[in-house]
Amino acid sequence: MAVTENLGRDGYIELKFGPRWKYIACVRGFIQNFLAISIVDQAKADKIAMAASELLENAVKYASHDETHIVIRVSPETERIVISVENTSSKESIAQLKDVYDKIIEGDPFQMYVAQMKEAAVRSDGKSHLGLARIRYETGGDLSLKISGNTVNLSIVIE
Amino acid sequence: MNKLNIQPIAEERIKIDITDIPQGIQINMTGDIDMEDPSILLDPFFEKIHSGMIAQGLAEVVADFKGLNFLNSSGIKAVAKWIMKLTDLDEKTKYIIKILHNKDITWQVTSLPTLTFLVPGGVKIE
Repeated sequence: MAVTENLGRDGYIELKFGPRWKYIACVRGFIQNFLAISIVDQAKADKIAMAASELLENAVKYASHDETHIVIRVSPETERIVISVENTSSKESIAQLKDVYDKIIEGDPFQMYVAQMKEAAVRSDGKSHLGLARIRYETGGDLSLKISGNTVNLSIVIE
Repeated sequence: MNKLNIQPIAEERIKIDITDIPQGIQINMTGDIDMEDPSILLDPFFEKIHSGMIAQGLAEVVADFKGLNFLNSSGIKAVAKWIMKLTDLDEKTKYIIKILHNKDITWQVTSLPTLTFLVPGGVKIE
């Protein structure tokens, strides 16, 4: 699952951090600064920073104690962006993530986001299960989930 | 103190003020809502607003998000939970939530309008 292979002329940043919630805002700010010098579309940069933040929240919530790994690749000519977040997790958390992913990946992104909001509003387990639906709708990107043993890789491609 | 006697919130990264307006109250959010579980802060706050609005028969809450730089999906859940409470209200107790958004903040442009689809007629956005 190495996401830094075959980069060609792509620019990229790669960060690893221990799963601590307080680092997420810091990483989000860093990504926003990186994108400000990498792409010209400010709205797109904001959406990517939001998506990265949501993916990191997801990773930190459900990660086992190993590090969380994020790579952001930028193609200079097309401003195509790939965000990839990888972490290890428990079998139970991976199964939950896959259930949410399978549910939100089909259908109209807007309808799915609104449906997930309604569902989140009545959940009593403290979880929202809203992040992936939000990313898919707000960025218009292509989400993908890869699972290998206890390693989870969530990626999004934004054209 | 405002007419609902609700204390404002002033945390490290988020501030929520409440002011009286003729038709109800206005809440102003500034900062970032990006904590791990914003429901601890937001659920009781929105519940107090909801029950106060019903008890006093007020018509409108203006929710000013314009100063909110970031709201994570757990925070969106808390707002959605508040909005969904409107579905239980009858003609006598119902009130409207008017959301003010900042067109220069991307997440507000994409995410906040979706809240109007949760309870048709219950939420307006400007």
